[in-house]
Amino acid sequence: MADGTVQAAGQVAVTPGGYKAPAWLGALFALPPALAALAFSLLLPGVAAGEAFEWSLAWAPQLGISFAFRIDGLALLFALLVTGIGAAVMLYSGVYLADHPRIGRFFLYLTLFMVSMLGLVTADDAIALFVFWELTTVTSFLLIGFTHDDPKSRRNALQALLLTGAGGLALLAGLLLLGQETGTLRLSQMDPAVVQASALLPGITVLVLIGCFTKSAQFPFHFWLPNAMSAPTPVSAYLHSATMVKAGIYLLARLSPSLGGSEIWVWSLTLAGAVTAVVGALWAVRQTDLKQMLAWTTVMALGTLTLLLAGSEPISIAAAMTFLVVHALYKATLFMVVGILDHEAGTRDKRLLGGLLRAMPLTAAAAALAAMSMGGFPPFLGFIGKELKYEGALALTAMPGVAAAGLVLASACMVAVAGMVAIGPFLGRERRAVAAHPHDPPAGMLVGPLLLAGLGLAFGLAPGLISGTLVQPAVTAVLGGPAEVKLKLWHGINVPLMLGLATFTLGIALYVLRRPVIAALDAVTARLPTTGDAAYDGALAGFKRLAAWQTDLLQSGRPRVYMATTVGTVAALALATLVAGGGVVMPAGSPAPDVLGLAAVAVAAAGTLLVVMTRSRLAAIGGLGMVGTAVALLFLMHGAVDVATTQFLVETLVVLLLAVALLRLPELTSLPARPLPTRLRDGLIAGAAGLTVTLVLLAVLAEPFDRRVTAFFEAASWPEAYGRNIVNVILVDFRALDTFGEIAVVAVAGLGAYALLRNDRILPKLPADSLILRTATRGLAALLLVFALFMLLRGHNAPGGGFIAGLIAATGFALLTIGHGVGLARRAMGAAPRLIALGGLGLALAAGMAGMVAGGLPFEGLWLFVGADPATGDKGLPLSTVLVFDIGVFLVVVGAVLAIVFALEEEA
Amino acid sequence: MSAAVLLTLPLALPFLGAVVAFFAGRFAGPGAGRWASVLTCAAMVVASGLLMAAVWRDGVLAVQMGGWIAPFGITLVADVLAAVMVVITAVSGLAVAVYACADIDRARERLGWHALYLVLLAGVTGAFLTGDLFNLYVWFEVMLIASFCLLVIGGDREQLDGGLRYVFLNLVATVMFLVAVGLLYGLTGTLNMADLHGALKTVEAPALVTTIAILFVGAFGIKAAVFPLFFWLPASYHTPPVAVSAIFAALLTKVGVYALIRLFTLVFTQDVDYTHGLLLVIAGLTMVTGVLGAAAQTQMRKILSFHIISQIGYMVMGLALFTPLALLGAVFYLVHHIIVKANLFLVSGVAKRLTGSFELERIGGLYRAKPWLAVLFLVPALSLAGIPPLSGFWAKLVLVQASLEVESWAIAATALVVGLLTIFSMSKIWLEAFWKPHPDGDAAVVSLTRSETVLLVAPVVVLAAITVVIGLVPQPFLDLAARSAAELLSPEAYVRTVLGGVP
Amino acid sequence: MDVLFALLAGLLTAAAVWLLLDRSLVRVLFGLALLGNAANLAIFAAGRLTAGKPPLVPEGMTAPVGEVANALPQALILTAIVISFGLFAFALALVHRAHKDLGTADVDALAEAEGKR
Repeated sequence: MADGTVQAAGQVAVTPGGYKAPAWLGALFALPPALAALAFSLLLPGVAAGEAFEWSLAWAPQLGISFAFRIDGLALLFALLVTGIGAAVMLYSGVYLADHPRIGRFFLYLTLFMVSMLGLVTADDAIALFVFWELTTVTSFLLIGFTHDDPKSRRNALQALLLTGAGGLALLAGLLLLGQETGTLRLSQMDPAVVQASALLPGITVLVLIGCFTKSAQFPFHFWLPNAMSAPTPVSAYLHSATMVKAGIYLLARLSPSLGGSEIWVWSLTLAGAVTAVVGALWAVRQTDLKQMLAWTTVMALGTLTLLLAGSEPISIAAAMTFLVVHALYKATLFMVVGILDHEAGTRDKRLLGGLLRAMPLTAAAAALAAMSMGGFPPFLGFIGKELKYEGALALTAMPGVAAAGLVLASACMVAVAGMVAIGPFLGRERRAVAAHPHDPPAGMLVGPLLLAGLGLAFGLAPGLISGTLVQPAVTAVLGGPAEVKLKLWHGINVPLMLGLATFTLGIALYVLRRPVIAALDAVTARLPTTGDAAYDGALAGFKRLAAWQTDLLQSGRPRVYMATTVGTVAALALATLVAGGGVVMPAGSPAPDVLGLAAVAVAAAGTLLVVMTRSRLAAIGGLGMVGTAVALLFLMHGAVDVATTQFLVETLVVLLLAVALLRLPELTSLPARPLPTRLRDGLIAGAAGLTVTLVLLAVLAEPFDRRVTAFFEAASWPEAYGRNIVNVILVDFRALDTFGEIAVVAVAGLGAYALLRNDRILPKLPADSLILRTATRGLAALLLVFALFMLLRGHNAPGGGFIAGLIAATGFALLTIGHGVGLARRAMGAAPRLIALGGLGLALAAGMAGMVAGGLPFEGLWLFVGADPATGDKGLPLSTVLVFDIGVFLVVVGAVLAIVFALEEEA
Repeated sequence: MSAAVLLTLPLALPFLGAVVAFFAGRFAGPGAGRWASVLTCAAMVVASGLLMAAVWRDGVLAVQMGGWIAPFGITLVADVLAAVMVVITAVSGLAVAVYACADIDRARERLGWHALYLVLLAGVTGAFLTGDLFNLYVWFEVMLIASFCLLVIGGDREQLDGGLRYVFLNLVATVMFLVAVGLLYGLTGTLNMADLHGALKTVEAPALVTTIAILFVGAFGIKAAVFPLFFWLPASYHTPPVAVSAIFAALLTKVGVYALIRLFTLVFTQDVDYTHGLLLVIAGLTMVTGVLGAAAQTQMRKILSFHIISQIGYMVMGLALFTPLALLGAVFYLVHHIIVKANLFLVSGVAKRLTGSFELERIGGLYRAKPWLAVLFLVPALSLAGIPPLSGFWAKLVLVQASLEVESWAIAATALVVGLLTIFSMSKIWLEAFWKPHPDGDAAVVSLTRSETVLLVAPVVVLAAITVVIGLVPQPFLDLAARSAAELLSPEAYVRTVLGGVP
Repeated sequence: MDVLFALLAGLLTAAAVWLLLDRSLVRVLFGLALLGNAANLAIFAAGRLTAGKPPLVPEGMTAPVGEVANALPQALILTAIVISFGLFAFALALVHRAHKDLGTADVDALAEAEGKR
C-alpha cells in the first residue's frame, strides 16, 4: 500500500499550528485495558479449575435475547489478548499519532473497537455476540478509513465493510437458525446432539462459515485484509494481530462443539485454511512494503488457524490455541516495529531500509525477538507452536498429509519473511533514502513491542506459564470436554521435528534465494486471470451497472410509462384474479332499462367518445358537459335529487373553470397523436381497466344486498336526527365526520390553487364590455345568493344543504367575476375567500366539537327547539349545532371555490 | 378522560391548529403562525401519549361519532397499532414542525404553509384512527390534497414538475380506493371495518372478494410505493423543501402500509395463501428494486427516496408472512422507520445548508468540519441499514427470524442481501459527503447561525436519541409491537369494542 | 339497467385511462374528470338502483313510505363529487401554473424533476 497513505495519517497531516497531543494521552487510554487485562488474569485460576464466570441481563425477552456473558477458557484467552495487546497499542498510538489533529477521534474509535471485541469474545448470547460482531465491523470501518482524505483509504474501508458486512448477515441467519433448532440463543446451552441431528445443519454451517471466513480473511475473501493496511499502523497492529480478524477464528472455535465434525465443516475448514495459509505465505514473500508483507503473513496465520480448527483431536485444537498466542505476540510486535521504522526512518519499503541496527538498537531487538518466534526458532514460543502445528495437522481427518505439507511450505515462507523483516532493515549498509538521524523512538512506542516480544521468549522458555492456565482451558472449551495439554520445547525425535528441520532448510533457502523466488512469484502473479481484489472491483462495477440499468428501466422519468404501468398492473392483476377464480357472473333479474335511461346512457357514451376523439378543446369541454349532465340525469332518474343537483352545479363550475383556464393552455392539436404501438398499449390498458370495473360491478350486483345500514338511517332520520332529507342527515349528522374531512379537502384545495395561481403582479382585469351581460350577471348573482341561502336552510328536510347552497353561491359570485371582474366580486363578498373557507372550517369544527364540550360525543348535535309547545306536541323550530355545521360547509365551499375562481381570473 | 376526548383530541387539535395558524399567520405575523404550528404539534404529542397510555391500560378504545352506534355511524377506534401510529405521527410531526421554522421561507408561510402542514398531520391521524372504510378514503384525500399543496407551493420549476408526477398517479390511486370501497359496500352493505370482518364471512363469492382485495392492494400499494407502483415517489420527493420531504418520507407511505395491514388482517383474510402470497412477492421485489434504485443515485435525497421504497418492502413482508412474529416485525419496522427516515431527510437538509448541494459530487468535508453532524448522520444511517444496536437492527432481526421460522428462505435471503445493499448506499453518502474533502476546499463548508442550529439540529438530535433508545432498550417497543400483532391476528376485541352496541 | 350502468362505468373508466395516458396535460385533466364520473356511477350502482323515489321522510311521517332510493351511496357520492371537484380544481391550477412556468403542457417534454430521457 502506498507510503503516502500512512504518511498522511502519521506525519504529513500536521496542521499549520503544529498540533501536539499531550504525552500522557496514550498512557491514559492504555490504562483501562491494562487494568482489564489484570482483572481478567485474576480469573485465570478459577477458569483453569473448570469454572466459567457468567453474567446476564434480560435484553429482549420477547425474542429470547439476553445480554449474557460467559467467560470460559476460550473467552478468557481472547479477552487477555484483546486487553493486553490493546494496552500496548494504546500506549504506542499516543506517541505515533501525537501530532495528528484527530487523535482524540482515533482513541475513541480504538476504544470502542476494543470494547466491541471484548464483548464479542465474552458474549454467550448468539445475538449479543452478533451485535458486537457488527460493532467491530463498523468501528474498524472508521479506523481503516481514518486517513479519509485519500480515495484509496475510503475505497479500502468500504471494501472491508461490504465484505465483512455481507458475512455478518449470513452469520446472523446462521445464528438465528441455530437458535431456532436448539430452542435457545445461549451458546453454552445449545445441545450439540440436537444441532448435529438437524436437517438444517449443512445450511447453518455454510452460513456461519461465510461469516467467519469473510471476517477472518479466508481465501477467497482474503484480499480485504492487505488493503485494510491503509489504516494507520497502530490499527493494523491491533486489528490484524489479535482482534478483528481473529473474531472469525474465535467463532469457529466457539461453535465447533456444536457445528464441528460434520463433513462440510471439516472439508470447508481444511480446504479454505490450507489454501489461505499457502497463498498468504507466498504472497507475503514477494511484498516490498513491510506492512503489506506482515498483512499477508496474517492471512497465512489465519489460514493455519482455520485449518487446525477443522480437527477434532485435542492436539489440533491445542495447536490452534497455542499458535493463536504465538501469532498475536509476534505480529503485534512486528507491526509496531514497522510503524517505528516508518515513523523514524520515513519509509517501510524494504528496498530502502538497511543498516539501522546502530541507530535503533532497541527496535532491532524487538524485531529480532519477534521474528525468531515467527520463524519458529527454539527456544521461542513460536517453536513450540510450530511443532504443535505439524502434529495437529497430521491428526486431521481430511487429507492430513497435504495439510502438513502446506503448513511446511507456509512456515518456510515465514522463516524467510522473518529474515526480511528483522535482518534486512537493521543489518547491511545504511541506505541514503532513510531520513536523517533515525533513532529509537520514545519509550511509549517501545514498551509494547519489547514486552510482547519478550513474552514470546519467556513463554517459550517456560511453557508451563501458559499451558495449564491459558491453553488447556481454552482447548477444553473448544472441545466441549476436558482435555490434557502439555506444552514443551523438546518432544523427542519425531515426525514434527523432522518437518521442522525441513522447514528451516527450506526457509533459509528461500531467504537466500529470495530474488529469483520473488521474480518467479511475480511472473505467476502476472499470469493470474484475476485477483480477489479485481474480482471485487468487477462485482461492484457490475452491481452498479445492474442498478443503473434497472433504475433507468423502471424509473424512466417518463410519466406516461409510470401511469401505464401503474394502471396496467392493477387492472391485469384484478382481471386475472376474477377470471381465474370464476368470478365473472351476470346479475339475474335486473330491471329492463327504460327509454329515458337508455337515452341518458347514450348521451353519456356519446359525450365520452367526443372527449376522447376530438382535437378541439371546446368540443372536448362540450363532451365533458354532456357526460356530466347525462350522469346527473341518471342520478335523478334513480331518486338521487341531491346528488343530481350537486352534479349539475359541479359540472357547471368545472366547465367554467376549464373555460377560463383552457384558453391559456395550448390547443390539443399542438401535439401529434400517439404512434400505433403506443396506441395499442394504451388501448389495451384502458380496455383492461374498463373491463375490470364493469365485470367486478356486475359480479357485485349478482350478489344479494344487505340494506340494514340504510334501513337504520331511514328509521332514525326524523325521530332521532330531526331531518326529513335522509341524504342530508347522513351528511351532517350520521356521517358528519366524512363531511368534515371533505370540506377540509375543499378548503385546502382552495388554498393550494390560490397559492399556485397567485401572481404578484395583479393586472386590473377589464370587465366584460357588454352592458347587458353586466346587468344580467349582477341580477343573476343576487338571485342565486338568495336561492343559496334558501337551499342552505331547508336542506335538512328537503333537497339542498350546505354543499348545494355553497355551490350555488359560488356560481353566483363566479358569474359576477366574469361579468364585472374580480374587484366587484371581491367587494361583494366582503372578505378574502380563503379566510371565509378557513373560517368555515373552524366553524364546522366548533360545531362538531360542541357536543363533546357539552359532555357528549363529538359531532353529537345539540338541539334547541324555539317555540316548542309540549302541550300541543309542536316541536317548534329546531336550531342546532348540526345547522351550524352545515353553515360551515357552506362557507368552506363558497370560500374555496371563489379563491380558485378569483385566482384564475386575476392570473393574467 | 373519556374515550371520546382521548380519541378526538389528536384529530381535532391539528385542524384547530391549522385554522389558528392560518389566521395567526395572516393577522399576527409569520412568527405567530410558526408558534401555532409548533405548539399544536406539542399538544398532539401529549394528546396522543394519553391515548396510547389509555389503550395500553384498557385495551381497544372506540367512540361513535355523533353517538350513532356502529356500524351505522362513523367509529373512531384505537387499538395498539393505531395508537402507536398516532403517537409517532405526533412525534415526527413536532420534530419537523420545529425544523420547518428555519427551513420554510416567508413566501411559503404567507401562502399558508403551516396550516397545510397541520392539515396533513390531521389527515394522517384521521386515517390511523378511523374505523370506517369510506372515512378512511376521506382522510386519504385530506392527506393527499395537503401533500399536493405542500409539494408545489412556492414552487420552483423542479417542484412543479415533481408535483405533476406526484399528483396524477396519486389521484388515480384514490379513485381506485373509492371504487373499491363502493364495490365492497355493494357486496356487504356496510362500511365499518369491524363489521366488514364479520360480513365478508357470509359472502359466498370468493373470487369476487379476492378481486376487490386486489383493488385495495393496488390503491394502497400505490400509496405505500410498492413495486411496481412506486414511480411517483422518487419522481417527486427530492423536489420540495426539506421539511416537506421529511414529513412525506416519514408518514405518507406508512399510511399506505398501515391501511394494508389493517385491511389484510381485519377484512381480507379469506384467501391468505393468494393475497398474502402476492404481497410477499411484491414485498421482495419492492425491497430489491428500491435498494437498486438507491444504489444508482448520486443525490442525497434521491438515495433516501429510493430507500423508502426498499424499506416499505420489509414492512409489507411482515404483513405478508402473517405470523405473530412477522406482524410484530412489521409494526416495529413502521415505528422505527418513521423516526429514522424523517431524521435522514432532516440531516440531508442540514448537510445541504452546510455544503451547498444535495449532489454528492459537489459536496464533502463534513466529517472534518462538523463531526457532530457525522454522528447525527451515522445514527439513523446505521439504523436504517440494520446495524446493531440501533432500532433498525431489531426491526430487521425480527423479520428475518420470522421468515426463517416459516422456512421462507427466499424472502429471508432477500431481506438480508438488501440489508447489505442498504449499507452500501448509506456508505456512499458517508464516503462522499463526510469523508471526501469538499471539492472546493473544506473552507466551502459554512456554519449555521445560532437560531438555525437550534431549530434545525435539535429535532435531529431528538430523533437520533429515540433511535438509540429503541435500540438499546428494545423490550418495551417489542412488547408494544407484540401486543399489536396479537390484536391484529385475532381482532375479536377490536370488533367487539367497535360493534359493542349491536346485538 | 344494472348492466347498462356497469357498461357505462366501464366505458368511462376506459376513456379516462386512455386520456390519462395522453401526452397533453389538458387531456389528462379531461381523463381525471371522466374518472370521477366513472367512480360515482359505480358506487351508485353498487348501492343498487331503484327507480324513482328520493329518500325523504314525508311531512307527518316518521319514515319514508314505500321503497325509496338507497340514501347512503348518495351521501357517499355527494362527498366524493365535492372532493373530486376540489382535487380537479387543484390539478387544473397546477397544470395552468406548470404550463406558464415550464412552458409546456406536454407530458413528454417535462424534464425538470427527473431529467429528460
